Amino acid sequence: MSEHPMEKENTFDPDLVHEIFKLVWKRKSAERGKNELSENMENEVEASSSRRSRPTFANANALKLSSELLRVFVAEAIQRAATIAEAEGSIKIEATHLERILPQLLLDF
Amino acid sequence: MEDLDGGMASEVEREEEEEVTDLLRDRFRLCTISIAEAEAKQCGMEVSQPIISCISDLAFKFAEQLAKDLELFAQHAGRKSVNMEDVILSAHRNDHLAASLRSFCNDLKAKEPTLERKRKKKSRREDRVARDLLRTAGT
Repeated sequence: MSEHPMEKENTFDPDLVHEIFKLVWKRKSAERGKNELSENMENEVEASSSRRSRPTFANANALKLSSELLRVFVAEAIQRAATIAEAEGSIKIEATHLERILPQLLLDF
Repeated sequence: MEDLDGGMASEVEREEEEEVTDLLRDRFRLCTISIAEAEAKQCGMEVSQPIISCISDLAFKFAEQLAKDLELFAQHAGRKSVNMEDVILSAHRNDHLAASLRSFCNDLKAKEPTLERKRKKKSRREDRVARDLLRTAGT
């Protein structure tokens, strides 16, 4: 786990994370309302500002925190793979190293 | 006839959506590359390019799953907006991760204390006004 997350410059762009989230939420709400809503739903959104048609949204800090979570995921993957590579006396992280750490990594997130 | 139109429209929509997803995935990969390379440099390691794109795809899948989780958590709390507690909750299986996110969350909160202070000041002023009103009503 990284010690000083605030000092890192490299992280995922919260806006990018937001766009990914919005896409997933849009896809899910479209799936949910597929049968009931007709194609002219978009025109009626303003008129029928019902709560169901209002999508989920996220506040800015939540997005920053999500970016941090994703950054930690990538950093952990690299660090763990690097440990394995080092133990094998390699200076480059290869697919076999990633394979070794993958099961535990996926369990940890 | 209407059904046919609707079906075609949704198909076009789906294609557009896939294009957008691909674009996002590429932007996401660029971010992953810079993070991964910086991290590898710290360990004194090199990373082969296919490994990074593999990790990036994993992280993207993780992000999509995270989005679903966060939406469900927020809905369960009766909210329409996702907040930091939801994100921390999504990491509850891993104590270390949750603790790390919690400290990051506190750092973010510490960065913007002005809002709360303003709110407090305002409420204090409102209290005083209420007190004055009471006093005038009493006399």
